[in-house]
Amino acid sequence: MWRYTLRRLIQGVITVWFIATATFAAMHMVPGDPLGSERATTESIRQSLEARYGLDQPVFPDQYLIFLGNMARGDFGISFTQQNRSVNDIILEAFPVSAQLGVLAVLFAALGGVLLGALTALNRNRLPDVIIMFLVILGISIPSFVFAALGQLAVVRLNDWSGQSLLPVAGWGTFQHMLLPALVLGLGTMAFLTRLMRSSMLEVVNTDYVRTARAKGVPPLRVFWRHQLRNAVLPVITVLGPAIAAITTGGFVVELVFAIPGLGRTFVEAVQQLDYTLIMGTTVFYGAFLVLMVILVDLLYGWVDPRVRLGS
Amino acid sequence: MRQKHDHDQDYALTVDNLKVEFDTYGGTVHAVRDVSFGLRRGKTLAIVGESGCGKSVTVQALMGLIPMPPGRITRGSAKLRSAASEATELIGLRERELNRIRGNRIGMIFQDPMTSLNPTMRIGDQIVETLRVHRGMSIREGFREAERLLDRVRISEARERARQYPFEFSGGMLQRVMIAVALACSPEVLIADEPTTALDVTIQAQILDLMQALQREEGMSIILITHDLGVVARMADDVAVMYAGQIVESGSAEAIFHRGGHPYTLGLRRATPSNDPENRQRLEPIEGSPPDLFHPPVGCGYFARCPHAMQVCEGRMPDPFELHHAADTADDVLHSARCWLQHDQAPRTEGVNQNGAGRGAS
Repeated sequence: MWRYTLRRLIQGVITVWFIATATFAAMHMVPGDPLGSERATTESIRQSLEARYGLDQPVFPDQYLIFLGNMARGDFGISFTQQNRSVNDIILEAFPVSAQLGVLAVLFAALGGVLLGALTALNRNRLPDVIIMFLVILGISIPSFVFAALGQLAVVRLNDWSGQSLLPVAGWGTFQHMLLPALVLGLGTMAFLTRLMRSSMLEVVNTDYVRTARAKGVPPLRVFWRHQLRNAVLPVITVLGPAIAAITTGGFVVELVFAIPGLGRTFVEAVQQLDYTLIMGTTVFYGAFLVLMVILVDLLYGWVDPRVRLGS
Repeated sequence: MRQKHDHDQDYALTVDNLKVEFDTYGGTVHAVRDVSFGLRRGKTLAIVGESGCGKSVTVQALMGLIPMPPGRITRGSAKLRSAASEATELIGLRERELNRIRGNRIGMIFQDPMTSLNPTMRIGDQIVETLRVHRGMSIREGFREAERLLDRVRISEARERARQYPFEFSGGMLQRVMIAVALACSPEVLIADEPTTALDVTIQAQILDLMQALQREEGMSIILITHDLGVVARMADDVAVMYAGQIVESGSAEAIFHRGGHPYTLGLRRATPSNDPENRQRLEPIEGSPPDLFHPPVGCGYFARCPHAMQVCEGRMPDPFELHHAADTADDVLHSARCWLQHDQAPRTEGVNQNGAGRGAS
C-alpha cells in the first residue's frame, strides 16, 4: 500500500510538471504581452519592468528554467496586474473560498447521487424512479450557468413572496451565501452520479451474495447498508476523482455568476488581463490539486474494496 | 418422500401442492406445478432433474427467496416441523418472521461459492453476521464462534482465515465457508442448491464428504438439489425426480436407482456415465427437449419424449401410483410414480418396473 501511494505521488509530480510546461508554452504562444496595455510606459520604464519580471531574457531555456525553479520552491512570483501582491498571496486568499464551495458541492453531489441512485434502483420502474430519472436527464444536459440564473431567479421570487431575505442572491460571506452556488455547482455531477449509482445498484441487487444475505435471515435494512450499498458505491468512488475535477472547473462559471471571490474568478480575470504569473500560478495550483484529489480517491477506493487494497 | 406409516413428527419439512408462477413479458411461466414431498428427519432428500425443471425454484420458494413480482406462489403449503414445537407454515410468512427462520432453522448453500459471498466483507464477518442476527452475539464472541465453525468445516488456520476476504480463497474453500455460514446457528434443515456443480471433481468429493460428516454430527436433514446422479447415489437416502415442474417419481434412493417406475427416471439412468470398467454401454441421450412451461401440457410433460407414450398420456397426467416391492426390501419409504404404465391395464413394458398399485399387489 505504501509503495503504491509513493508510486502514485511520483506519477502525480510528473503530471504536474507536464501541466506546468504545457501552460508555459501555451501562454507564450498567445499574442501580446502583459505590459502592452500599460499606458504611459516609456521605453526605460518598460525595460526596467521587463528586467524585473525576467521578460528580457530568452523564453527558452532561461525563462522556463527560472519558472520551474521558482515553482519547485513553491514561489509563483508577483502578479503583473495586482500591485505588489504575490501570486501565492492571491491563491492563499481566494482558494479557501473556492474550496469551501467545492467541498459543499462535492458532498451534495456524492451524497445526493448515491442516495437517489439507490432509491431509484430499489423502486425500479415505479413512479419515484421515473420522476427522478427524468430530472436526472435534465440535470445532465443543462449547463450550470443556466441553473445558476434560474436559481437566482427562484431565490428572488422566494424572497419577494416571503417578504424577507431568506437567501442571498449573490455574494459571499455567510453559510447562506454558499447554499445556492453549491447546489448549482453540484447539480450536474449529482445527476451523473445518480445514474451511475442506479445502474450499479441494479446489478448488485441481483447478485448471489445479496441472495445469500437474505438466506441468512439478515433484515432488509441491514442487507441494504452492509451488502448492497457498499458494493454498489465502488464504481461511484472511481469517478469521484473526475467528478471533483468537473466541479472545480465548473466553479469558474458559477463563481462569476454569483460574484464569489474565489480562485475560479481570479483565474478567468487573470487570463483576460494576460497576467502571466497569475495564470501560471493558478493553473499549476489547480493541476496539482486535481492530481492530488484523484490520488486520494484511488486510495479511498482501496480502503473500501479489499481486492484493491490487498491484491497484487 | 412419504413413509408407508406416515407420522408428521418423522419429517423435518413437508411440502404440499406447491405452485409457483412467474409473470414475464412473454406470458406466465408455470415453473412449479403442484409439488409435494416430505423431508425425513436426519435424512438426505435429493431432488434431481434437468435444468429448468423447477428444482431451484421449489426450494427458493420455501426460503422466500423468489423475487415477487415477477414470481408468485399461487398455491401450496410448506411446513417446517420440529420435534418439540408446532409446525411452522413457511408459505405466506411475512419477511420479518421469515428472517427468524432463514439462517437460523434452515440454512442454505448455493451453486457458485465464488459469487455467493460478499466481496467486501471479511469471511469472519459474514459468519458473525448470522450469529449476530439470530443469537445477538457480540462481534468478539461471534468471531470466536466463527473460528470454531471454520475449524469444523476443516479450514486450517481459522484465526487468520476468518480475517481474510473471499478473493483470497479458492472455490472449494469458499464452499466450506458457505457451509460454515449456513451451519452457524445449527439449523434443522440444510438446503444445498447444486453445491458442487461449480467445483472440480476432487473438490466435489471433499465437499460431499464434509456435508455427510456434519450431518452425522449435527443430525440435520438435507435437501440436496442436483442433476448429478453420481452425487445422488453417494448422498441421498430419498430421491424425488422432477420433470417440467412436477415430481414424476419419488422413493428411496435404492428404489429409484434399481427399480425405477417412470420412463424419465430410466432415461436419466441410461444417460449417466458409469465408472464401472465392466460396464461399457453407450450413453443414451433423452431425445427432444422439455415442454414449454408457458403452456404446460395438460397430459404428461414427458409425453413428447417418452419411448413408451400411450394415447392416454397426452390427455391426462395420472396421480401418483404406489409401487410395491417384494417384502425383503425392508424399505419404509413409499415408492410412487406418476406414469400410466403403472396402471393395471397398461401393457407390459420391458425395463420399466411395473408394480404399480393399479396392478394390485398380486
